[in-house]
Amino acid sequence: MHSHSVSSDDSRATVEQYVKWIQVLRKRGHTVDGIVLTEHRKFDFDKDYSELASQYNVVVLKGSELDTRYGHFLVYGVTQALTQDIDFGDVRMDSRALMQAARQHDAIALPAHPGRFGIGLTEYVAQGETFDDVSIVERFNGGSRPGENERAAELCDSHSLLGIGGSDAHLTSHIATCMTNFKATIKKESDVVEALLTKEFQPVWLDDTLNGASA
Amino acid sequence: MPYYDEVELGDEIGPVEKVATDDEVSNFCDVWGTPGPNRFTDAETAAKSGMKGGPIVPGIMTMAMMAQLLTDWGGPGSIKDLDLVFRQPVPHNRALTLAATITDLREEDGESLVECDILMTGTEGERYVGGKAIVTLQSR
Amino acid sequence: MAMELEYDRSLYGIEHKAGPFEISNETIDRANSSTGEAGAAFLSDEGAIAAGYKGRIAPPTLCCILVRQVALPDVKVKFGKTSMHAGQRVEPKAPVYADDQLTASSHLKDVYAKTGRSGTMVFVVWETTFSNQNGEVVAEVQESFARRE
Repeated sequence: MHSHSVSSDDSRATVEQYVKWIQVLRKRGHTVDGIVLTEHRKFDFDKDYSELASQYNVVVLKGSELDTRYGHFLVYGVTQALTQDIDFGDVRMDSRALMQAARQHDAIALPAHPGRFGIGLTEYVAQGETFDDVSIVERFNGGSRPGENERAAELCDSHSLLGIGGSDAHLTSHIATCMTNFKATIKKESDVVEALLTKEFQPVWLDDTLNGASA
Repeated sequence: MPYYDEVELGDEIGPVEKVATDDEVSNFCDVWGTPGPNRFTDAETAAKSGMKGGPIVPGIMTMAMMAQLLTDWGGPGSIKDLDLVFRQPVPHNRALTLAATITDLREEDGESLVECDILMTGTEGERYVGGKAIVTLQSR
Repeated sequence: MAMELEYDRSLYGIEHKAGPFEISNETIDRANSSTGEAGAAFLSDEGAIAAGYKGRIAPPTLCCILVRQVALPDVKVKFGKTSMHAGQRVEPKAPVYADDQLTASSHLKDVYAKTGRSGTMVFVVWETTFSNQNGEVVAEVQESFARRE
């Protein structure tokens, strides 16, 4: 639900390397069905990964990770109309406006790594900011430093928020370290939005999927 | 040195443990052309730059250490590309673990290429430096 | 509106030349000793010849050490007070031998903003090509620096 390819400035992994690595994980007994590429501050309308997805039997979807004045937000179900309403390159946008615009365009935006020191949503909640439209956050984040996922868990528990998991991979071997287990079958971006709205999902660690444990 | 057909996706290079001592960092800064008190050699200057844990190891020095991991494994001229992001300040005199994971194998323009993720980590889960390397190996 | 960055955009497209850098045995010795390098091809002619080279070679990150000695112009980014080295890339293209003379040519690649644990940051990216006395490219080096609020 959260990964970056070389299309992002700070990633060093190609999408092909991710889907190849997923074959390694599957050989090791893990269940990994698909990935969502959430490139920084943009949406890659021109990128088509369907051949790779088909060749390696991995669902490859696209979203975005946007910088806002209240931390980073993952956006699923991005449309041309949404990108016309919201400047994806604006690192100081108001995340409340982003969340509302996303819903108006049948997309959904939710806080990434809310426990992250210095930039996570917990920092702004502690400052007294309120985010009425937030009902889901990224509870498990594979790029977190020690203590950050714990802060995210505390936020979820204290504010009754649901959690997803995302690897936040920037390197090939980091893909799928955290994932989201959906009850619904996910094949396209709109399935992700719908599945998030139904609230039938849970965050999982890669090891939770060993030999189909949480599939 | 391994041959190309001996390695597989998921194989590890290392890990090796290293420490960058105060003297080594000071020596490196002299060679690098940044002698004198600076955030790499002087605690006070480091603190003024926001480094609460004392002076730090230069990024280029960590890069040289990571290159050694690869050349010790693949040979002196094996590195085709080493691309690193300096994610956290690296402290002096602390155990640093260097390791790489092979993530791609391909033959390109007559060369046998091994691509790997490469990381420098600390004992408390710190990911100090991370990136990607492409190494060329001989085929049999 | 996106954050409008103020910096000297006239620097794009300009190559900044530096050198020559004399690569002596002493240069390689000092680079090796400061990083604990012990690879035989980097230590002596004998070790390098055994590995298939015509003589002693420099370790692959030597050009990354030299690049700090290339005087680059101020990009005049009107943002932040401190600058940190954020990343480095080296693509060795040909061996660097003891007694080589290298020259460098650098250009500004990109300037962009993003946010992270340290708040908003502006990244400045430079690319430098090192060539030897025969005009052969020996390494491409990319450096990125982050300016913090």
